[in-house]
Amino acid sequence: MLACLCTVLWHLPAVPALNRTGDPGPGPSIQKTYDLTRYLEHQLRSLAGTYLNYLGPPFNEPDFNPPRLGAETLPRATVDLEVWRSLNDRLRLTQNYEAYSHLLCYLRGLNRQAATAELRRSLAHFCTSLQGLLGSIAGVMAALGYPLPQPLPGTEPTWTPGPAHSDFLQKMDDFWLLKELQTWLWRSAKDFNRLKKKMQPPAAAVTLHLEAHGF
Amino acid sequence: MAVPVPWACCAVLAAAAAVVYAQRHSPHETPHVQYERLGSDVTLPCGTANWDAAVTWRVNGTDLAPDLLNGSQLVLRGLELGHSGLYACFHRDSWHLRHQVLLNVGLPPREPVLSCRSNTYPKGFYCSWHLPTPTYIPNTFNVTVLHGSKIMVCEKDPALKNRCHIRYMHLFSTVKYKVSISVSNALGHNATAITFDEFTIVKPDPPENVVARPVPSNPRRLEVTWQTPSTWPDPESFPLKFFLRYRPLILDQWQHVELSDGTAHTITDAYAGKEYIIQVAAKDNEIGTWSDWSVAAHATPWTEEPRHLTTEAQAPETTASTTSSLAPPPTTKICDPGELGSGGGPSAPFFISVLVTLALAAAAAAAAASSLLI
Repeated sequence: MLACLCTVLWHLPAVPALNRTGDPGPGPSIQKTYDLTRYLEHQLRSLAGTYLNYLGPPFNEPDFNPPRLGAETLPRATVDLEVWRSLNDRLRLTQNYEAYSHLLCYLRGLNRQAATAELRRSLAHFCTSLQGLLGSIAGVMAALGYPLPQPLPGTEPTWTPGPAHSDFLQKMDDFWLLKELQTWLWRSAKDFNRLKKKMQPPAAAVTLHLEAHGF
Repeated sequence: MAVPVPWACCAVLAAAAAVVYAQRHSPHETPHVQYERLGSDVTLPCGTANWDAAVTWRVNGTDLAPDLLNGSQLVLRGLELGHSGLYACFHRDSWHLRHQVLLNVGLPPREPVLSCRSNTYPKGFYCSWHLPTPTYIPNTFNVTVLHGSKIMVCEKDPALKNRCHIRYMHLFSTVKYKVSISVSNALGHNATAITFDEFTIVKPDPPENVVARPVPSNPRRLEVTWQTPSTWPDPESFPLKFFLRYRPLILDQWQHVELSDGTAHTITDAYAGKEYIIQVAAKDNEIGTWSDWSVAAHATPWTEEPRHLTTEAQAPETTASTTSSLAPPPTTKICDPGELGSGGGPSAPFFISVLVTLALAAAAAAAAASSLLI
């Protein structure tokens, strides 16, 4: 059973809303968040490769296609197409924020068990970057005036060490964690693309057009 | 009452006899269809005739040599494709048809080649298949699509018979898709399957309507425009990035430019006066692979119209510009309309300037002479 104690994350300091004069709006921070998801996705590719090799076969085989058992508490990126398209901005951002909060928590759990120092270092580095992404999403939400999601009492994830949890099942959980993380990063890129397009002021489009025909 | 019954009885018996006679002595409505493997041997019996019956065999109306016969049976060894046809055996003396066989020579199917691709992400994907070598006989294909444990429907393409389409129900799925295909014909069957993630099969169609135009008064520029492929359903939410390649026709080396958005680009380092070939490819910003290259566009950068000079001036000018080689043109030689010549080889402007100098000198001398006269 994959579970996690993560009280510290839910109490991230709230980023104050930007109210400086000449504020460019949430656009630049959405772009920054988008860029971070791309960076993380790139980082994850090498990290996942190394980690799956460490887990050994069949986890590192390209055709490995197990049924999704266990790992029920992992936040799932999969969503119905129409539902995803019609998400309002607040919900879109909230889902991303909550997903990465959970995923970061689980990753930290992974780090605790990792065997080699090399792996622990890579995982720690990735966790730091993921923390940065969370902060960036929080920044966008604050700039748009949305409150950060707070956990309901009782639903807070807690980590319970399971003595009956077999080695193989633990590895399966690790496999699904990495898979879900990768898929969330792809989804976030699309989510932030959508947000970026919505935030883009129409004037910018005209400027770009002129530049294309400039001398 | 007793009298008509025997008549009716006789009529029925006669009819029955006629039917039996007809069945025994008239050709079958449809010939027996038989499939045999290329390279094998086959023995065709003449229907229900005895082994020692006297028969003649024909294929597609042509008599077959009696040395192929084993009694009344036709023996064919080492079947080739040319052996396919309609075989008929006839009673030798009465020439009535006893049996017909439509022989089809072919092969059992080899492992089919299956591939899937999404050019309409996020709407869905399609899978297409083919056999690596022909079987020469009809084949039937059966495709099944599994998403985890869920069976998905693959709708047949209305136009292409080796393609079917699947619609995505969910996006951003961590569970792989498994597409299996089985092919069978009268001589055997085969199957294969592929497994993939939602993102790995995304490959858009190439950009459409690629147009390249010269830019007036700019001999080193070409303006290229294109459109996102019409099959890509949602370029707003799923933007595409583009890759442009161009080269002059006379060179083999391509230049490349990657563009993260926009459907236009201006090439600024074209070789003056050379015809260019330009192509564009597309890719989803984050996932999948590049499309194939688009249909090529051709264009030549703008060149100034050659001025009408005296005939001696014109001839060397034209030869100079055609032999002006593959070496890059002198940098930023944007033609000043005041300067004669079309910016071709270096020798032409020199010659012209010599001529101009001489003309000016002559004019100056004439002016001096005339001023002296006054």
